[in-house]
Amino acid sequence: MSTPESSAPPESFFPGADDRDMVEGFARVVAISGGKAWAEPEPAQSCGGCHSAGLCSIGKQMGNPSARQMAKRFALPGDLGLVVGERVVVGVREDTLTKGALTAYGLPLAVLLAGGILGQEIGHSDAMAALGAAGGLLVGLLGARIVAGILSARGVLTPRFLRRAFEAPPDAACHTEQG
Amino acid sequence: MEHYLLLIISAALVSNVVLMRFLGLCSFMGVTTRVDTAIGMGAATTFCITISAMIDWGVEKALLEPYELGYLRTVAFILVIAAAVQFTEAVVRKVSPAMFQMLGIYLPLITTNCAVLGVNLLLVEGKMNFIESTLFALASSLGYSLVMVLFAGLRERIALNAVPRLFAGPPIGFITASLLALAFMGFSGMSTN
Repeated sequence: MSTPESSAPPESFFPGADDRDMVEGFARVVAISGGKAWAEPEPAQSCGGCHSAGLCSIGKQMGNPSARQMAKRFALPGDLGLVVGERVVVGVREDTLTKGALTAYGLPLAVLLAGGILGQEIGHSDAMAALGAAGGLLVGLLGARIVAGILSARGVLTPRFLRRAFEAPPDAACHTEQG
Repeated sequence: MEHYLLLIISAALVSNVVLMRFLGLCSFMGVTTRVDTAIGMGAATTFCITISAMIDWGVEKALLEPYELGYLRTVAFILVIAAAVQFTEAVVRKVSPAMFQMLGIYLPLITTNCAVLGVNLLLVEGKMNFIESTLFALASSLGYSLVMVLFAGLRERIALNAVPRLFAGPPIGFITASLLALAFMGFSGMSTN
């Protein structure tokens, strides 16, 4: 996703060059332990939605909401001086989402398809194709877990602290169309 | 092989789920304000459509067809889709909690996405075998993802331009979608599947 130069934020908007092209989101610090600050992302509005969003199931979380939030908890460096309850802006690189999607969904699907075709070619029956696809899915999920482990170890998937929420970046300007 | 290739082109482009069959329009308009959200939603939907199509094929062949329970098809398929979404969520969480942080928000949207049910019902109508069903579902959902990403890219560009006040927001979105649908009509006649 490229951003035209005219709409690019000022250089000082970002603490470092690597913080360009980040997908940003809000998180709240919920605990300080082990020399780290633990934050939970604020529920995101994944659907741009309509005015009847309150009536439809979109955006509502399935299952136990607190358990889901716990699963999304991540660590931030402890030397930032964050306190419990503080809102922060975190971000991941734009290509991280693509990498994540390809790993979590693309890899298992590709192996599933290969398994299904292999089963069909060997057994010449739907049952063998289904068996091959199911086996392929399991292998694919295992592969996805390994690749995800490698990406996590490199820190690619972990959100990075960008700034405190409501902390106006130096030289920041408002760029709304209405002016 | 040629048959499979035609099936894929037909499902992804010629009979595109969104622009030709008009399914999944809610997420098409709601989740396409940014390219990254469109990619996340498209990938999650592709996975869920393919998995649910595989299971639904089994349900159709093992239960609904032999016992003449066709009238329960919609209900049964909805149940399978909900289960497939929950399965996907559990899998992504297990594969990588970090990925779940990024991709998990799109999963609840899929349960209410009519494109998923639509593709599964089309599979029954097409009387396909297992591999054809899986390929059709995968290609249909890839076509859905392609349109989502294309439309999100267009909307990002539109957001940077001055749009007349009357057309700002959804109206210009619908006009853009109709132009995109006209462009996809160019694929008509490439395949008769």
